[in-house]
Amino acid sequence: MQNNVIISVAKKEIMDNIRNKWIIIVSVIFALLTIASSYYGAAYSKKWSDMGFTIVIIMSMVQYLISIIALILGYGTIIAEVERGSMSSLLSLSATRLEIITGKFLGLASVLSISIFVGFGAAGLIIAANVPNFNFVEYLIFIGASILFGLIFLSISLFFSTIFKRRSTAIGGAVFLWFFFLFILSIIFGIILFSTGSTIIPDWYYGLELLNPVSVYSNFVSINVVPISQMMQTVTTTPITYPSFLTNWLLLPLLFLWIIVFFVLAYWRFNKQDI
Amino acid sequence: MSIQQVKCPKCKTPITISGEPGEKIFITCPQCNQKGAYTIPGAQQQKTVTSQAAIEVAGLTKSYNHFTAVNNVSFTVKKGEIFGFLGPNGAGKTTTIKAMLDLIHANAGTIKINGIDIRTNTKEAKKYVGYMPEKVAFYDNLTALQNLSFYAEITHATKEECMHLIEEFGLGDTGKKRVGKFSKGMIQRLGMARAILGNPPILILDEPSGGLDPRGVVLIRDKILEMKKNGATVFVSSHILSEIQEICDRVGIINKGVLVAQDTVEGLSKKLNLKPQITVTLDKITPELENAVKKLPGVDMVNVKGNTLEIICDGAIKAKVILAISTAGGNIQNLQTKEPSLEDVFMRYTEA
Repeated sequence: MQNNVIISVAKKEIMDNIRNKWIIIVSVIFALLTIASSYYGAAYSKKWSDMGFTIVIIMSMVQYLISIIALILGYGTIIAEVERGSMSSLLSLSATRLEIITGKFLGLASVLSISIFVGFGAAGLIIAANVPNFNFVEYLIFIGASILFGLIFLSISLFFSTIFKRRSTAIGGAVFLWFFFLFILSIIFGIILFSTGSTIIPDWYYGLELLNPVSVYSNFVSINVVPISQMMQTVTTTPITYPSFLTNWLLLPLLFLWIIVFFVLAYWRFNKQDI
Repeated sequence: MSIQQVKCPKCKTPITISGEPGEKIFITCPQCNQKGAYTIPGAQQQKTVTSQAAIEVAGLTKSYNHFTAVNNVSFTVKKGEIFGFLGPNGAGKTTTIKAMLDLIHANAGTIKINGIDIRTNTKEAKKYVGYMPEKVAFYDNLTALQNLSFYAEITHATKEECMHLIEEFGLGDTGKKRVGKFSKGMIQRLGMARAILGNPPILILDEPSGGLDPRGVVLIRDKILEMKKNGATVFVSSHILSEIQEICDRVGIINKGVLVAQDTVEGLSKKLNLKPQITVTLDKITPELENAVKKLPGVDMVNVKGNTLEIICDGAIKAKVILAISTAGGNIQNLQTKEPSLEDVFMRYTEA
């Protein structure tokens, strides 16, 4: 079904981000950081690192950077228009709130996806030209997973843009969430693990990690990009064995689930909101 | 079938084309072979109000925590009329209007636009409405045309219509200027343009003259009258009575969240027994003359101020009063009658 409200609203979000050069700036940041990681990241490899090593390095960068970029991109989605006053005009048009929030999410999702794809894609091509045996399929899996990871945080920030009354509090909430998922949660899990006195990572710990989208993302990339698992074996003294339940069939739907759950929450809040 | 004259964008040769409204015609210029396409305007299915009641509000109640902003408000706006919605600031006007557009969700009551329930069939109901909010806001980083074009996409209006409206509301020379740099008055005018974009049969205007200079006020008032002439129903709120009084068919007065009156301006003044005031200037006022007027049945009050008589009386005996003055030997130099104004009605209803 062709829905012109969703398309118009999405198009406007994309155009706004093209106008304010967001797409270009973010793409360039991703590309430069990826290339820099590949070229300078490996102390032992002197020049260009291979794909696996590059991904290992940029994966942690991705976790911090994509999440914060997604939060910045999305935290004002609803609240900014409400604050400015343009939301009442938009909602007075013959459009449902579901169409408007869907359009906004799809528009911002495109902006984020394009930036990640172009940034990492361009970097990937440059790296591929300099290292042997560059596995494009695995690199594409990595890009795809990174996009999904970004969309999780976009969805979370969309939700935050509906629960706060002011933009300033919404950005505060988004930053807190960023700390929570990227630091606090891992520290809590770490303390739990430490208190059990395990020397190797037990299976239940991987189960616990399913609650953190950051770990779901990194585990998903680790089990799919072969060079990573190989390299992890060389840098850790104890061999890493992933529990048998940690499969694509669990992790991939989980990535989507995070996106959907927060989008539904955002819609639920937006729908009952007084503008 | 409609016939249109178009000009080749390259060599300006006039070309006559014909087609059904909404049809996209592909043209090749006979002069310079420039290829192009033109869509015959007027394809838009014009929405019309079919219900006798354009807007029906019944038992509307909205509370915020312990504050009841609107309390059991009911009124009907008839098809084709201009309905003035009056009340002091904070009386509940904007809350009522926002509920009419499903921007806020009422605690109780039903609202129907052209007979369609706004809560259960929001999208369909809103198709009939053009809305101008109290605080008009646009996307500051876009131009007037870019802003209107965005709304036009959703309301299925054409770009030509947007350009035409921008011109009509005196914003034709803003060009590439971003709306963020517009004055309050310009934004207000653009807000009115957006409300009538797509030619909606029902207009809901929340304080449309706020922040406008006198010329802007006249522009908007004329536009409201023009829309009414074309068959539109207009619901307009204000706390400034004079600008609404002359154009409204009926008014509703809201005070502290309660609708205290709903009638025509004349009807309301009759109900309140408000009477016209006659001011007569004479060359000389004698006590006999003053008495002659005072004695007339229907005269409530006579005030003498120098050579001027201020008389408050029933509307029906105005002529008799004048006659009595002449009979008593008064030489009338100037005569003014002031009908009871909405202001008086309003003051009476919103007092205390």
